[in-house]
Amino acid sequence: MLMEISPTIFIVPTGIGCEIGGFAGDALPTAKLLASASGCLITHPNVMNGGTLSEKDKNIFYVEGYNLDRFAKGEIALKRVKQQKIGIIFDLAIDNEILVRHLQVADACVSTLGIDVHSYVVTKKPLNIVIDSDSSKMSSGIIKNPDALIHAGRCLIEKGVTAIAIVAKFLDDPDAPETNIYREGKGVDPISGAEAVISHLISKFLKVPCAHAPALGPIELNKNLDPRAASEEIGYTFLPSVLIGLSNAPDIVELPNINELISIHPNQIESIVVPNGALGGEGILAGIEKGLNIISVKNQNILKVSNEFFDYPNLFEVDNYLEAAGIILAMRRGITLKSIKRPLQKIQESSCSY
Amino acid sequence: MKLSSVDVYIDWPVVIKIKNLRDFIISNLEKKGDVIRWSIVDIQDSIDCCGTKKLKIKVVLAY
Repeated sequence: MLMEISPTIFIVPTGIGCEIGGFAGDALPTAKLLASASGCLITHPNVMNGGTLSEKDKNIFYVEGYNLDRFAKGEIALKRVKQQKIGIIFDLAIDNEILVRHLQVADACVSTLGIDVHSYVVTKKPLNIVIDSDSSKMSSGIIKNPDALIHAGRCLIEKGVTAIAIVAKFLDDPDAPETNIYREGKGVDPISGAEAVISHLISKFLKVPCAHAPALGPIELNKNLDPRAASEEIGYTFLPSVLIGLSNAPDIVELPNINELISIHPNQIESIVVPNGALGGEGILAGIEKGLNIISVKNQNILKVSNEFFDYPNLFEVDNYLEAAGIILAMRRGITLKSIKRPLQKIQESSCSY
Repeated sequence: MKLSSVDVYIDWPVVIKIKNLRDFIISNLEKKGDVIRWSIVDIQDSIDCCGTKKLKIKVVLAY
């Protein structure tokens, strides 16, 4: 039995069209593999959220992207909890019928899964999402009323909520080329950049676990649907996976802190797994600062920020996540990687002078 | 508070080592607003004889 762990951060940046992880929870099996290899994986909601589908894993910490970067920077630690008390923020712009569907999801998660969904609020103003995206570029966007979002979150926290799910209205345009390209397994998820901004705002200003689900109307059947996008089409909402993920997401512990029991401290992290070409994120650069192992995996996407520009020595380029899992497992067991590869060089006399 | 999503171009001089790159970028971005989200989305290699690289950064700022 493996007792030691090799804590690992797993990042699949949102909105860059990754072949694995660029869709609806389609990196979840990979996350389970890496969690199994490492014994402790810290990853973000868009890896784990598959619309209606999701899964809990005792070796996976579910941490929103802004907080994940703060963790990589050493600003926060994570504390395991048995259960979060979840509140939901609904965008005022959501139609009543869609709102009722979401409330029924929340009730179902309480009655069927035993999740503690405490209460909800509706924002005082519509969030007014603006998407800036085309299928060939990184997804990005903003909301025009961020204060309405933050005020709603603050209200929930004052009522005793410890984690926040956000449901924002996105424009229904099923005929938009970006939507159809995405559904057929090409291009980038057009709304994911704006989604990240929404959850980052809650993380930055309210410092609680959070995740976002978009509110979208029903969409016409597409027989050419890519399997990786399928989990977004099997229900009325994307809220179930968010509530499942948040239900035992770890608490955020500001550092330094000597009073809280910490489950995982950033100094314990040994590796970061990231798609090749996507080395320009803050969490990865923070890991490079600390000299962590960066495992760069071939996972086709639209970015080309690779190690040829950084020349970072502790970077392992691998062909797939199976190979990444093997490297992590070897590290966890204290097996030097060169002993597994051939040819095996003889040891050399050191040129030290003493 | 208002948000804006912009592309920012920063020259990365050769004297800034990779281990200091994040701090270098943040210090540049924070002059423009409160940083909500950012990442390097493109790098152009050696735009001059000194080895300076040009970074393209996608950033969401709050004012």
